Amino acid sequence: MKLELFIEKFIEQFDDTSPEEINADTVYEELEEWSSLIALSVIAMVDEEYDVSIGAKEIIESGTVKGLFETVKAKKG
Amino acid sequence: MLSNKKILVTGASSGIGQGIVKILDRRGAELILTARNEKKLKAVISETNNNPSYFLADITDDKQIEHLVNNIQKLDGIVFCAGFNEYIPFKFIKKEKVNKIFNVNYFSSLYLLQYIIKKKKLNKGSSLVFISSISSLLGVPATLLYAASKSAVNSTVKVLASELSGKKIRVNAISPGIVITPMLEQNNINKEKLMEQEKQYPFGFGTPEDIAYSVSFLLSDESRWMTGNIIKIDGGFTLQK
Repeated sequence: MKLELFIEKFIEQFDDTSPEEINADTVYEELEEWSSLIALSVIAMVDEEYDVSIGAKEIIESGTVKGLFETVKAKKG
Repeated sequence: MLSNKKILVTGASSGIGQGIVKILDRRGAELILTARNEKKLKAVISETNNNPSYFLADITDDKQIEHLVNNIQKLDGIVFCAGFNEYIPFKFIKKEKVNKIFNVNYFSSLYLLQYIIKKKKLNKGSSLVFISSISSLLGVPATLLYAASKSAVNSTVKVLASELSGKKIRVNAISPGIVITPMLEQNNINKEKLMEQEKQYPFGFGTPEDIAYSVSFLLSDESRWMTGNIIKIDGGFTLQK
């Protein structure tokens, strides 16, 4: 699993946020466009791209894009 | 109120189904429960007084439906409670997801009922109760598959109410608003959002029992003139929609 690719896929879930605003250390819940629908899109993206099932808990607890990447990586084993 | 009535409950092992079992049991129904998880089902049974019988079955599997139906006596009512929700934004919907949600929430009930009818396992005057959802009447983002599967249930209730009226079989559905169940906890993004949402419910979120009392009424002879209804029970949520 590559962090760069994960960030790229993460960015794809946003329509109005410029890609420069999102990097490994971004606290996604602070992004203006962040919403429950985007959170659901991220969950669905992780399922589709990495075959890993995450829920609300992981989204909330991971905090940053990198944090979420690590969570997904750990779950993938 | 329900004594001497044989009632089959699907999805009996958790959430709304569990609450329904509790209330129907208390009202003297002779229950037959079905679900996939034996441990959970046994836990539900341990809280009852009248020792319901149970069949472990995955009702998305035709063979298991046949086995179940061939081993039960004639029924006076069925509560179709098996179901699940998965929030999926539209662009992520895939055929597998469509099949999964529709199989569990809709086709399983349809084929189970069809087989029960073919095998003549429904008494005259039976009552069928489907658990729908207010999602089927609203437009909540990321609920397309769930809402559509429940809309299919609503249409089925209307058509079957008409088709089965000759046999005096009644068919109704209950459309609950948000009910506090494990399904809710699994699906929600965060607690604050949920609390915000609860403010939109004049009577707060519901409990499985709130739904169960209406199910009990629909199964009883007190509702004998009611068929083809989709009854909204939502603590007043949709009043302001």
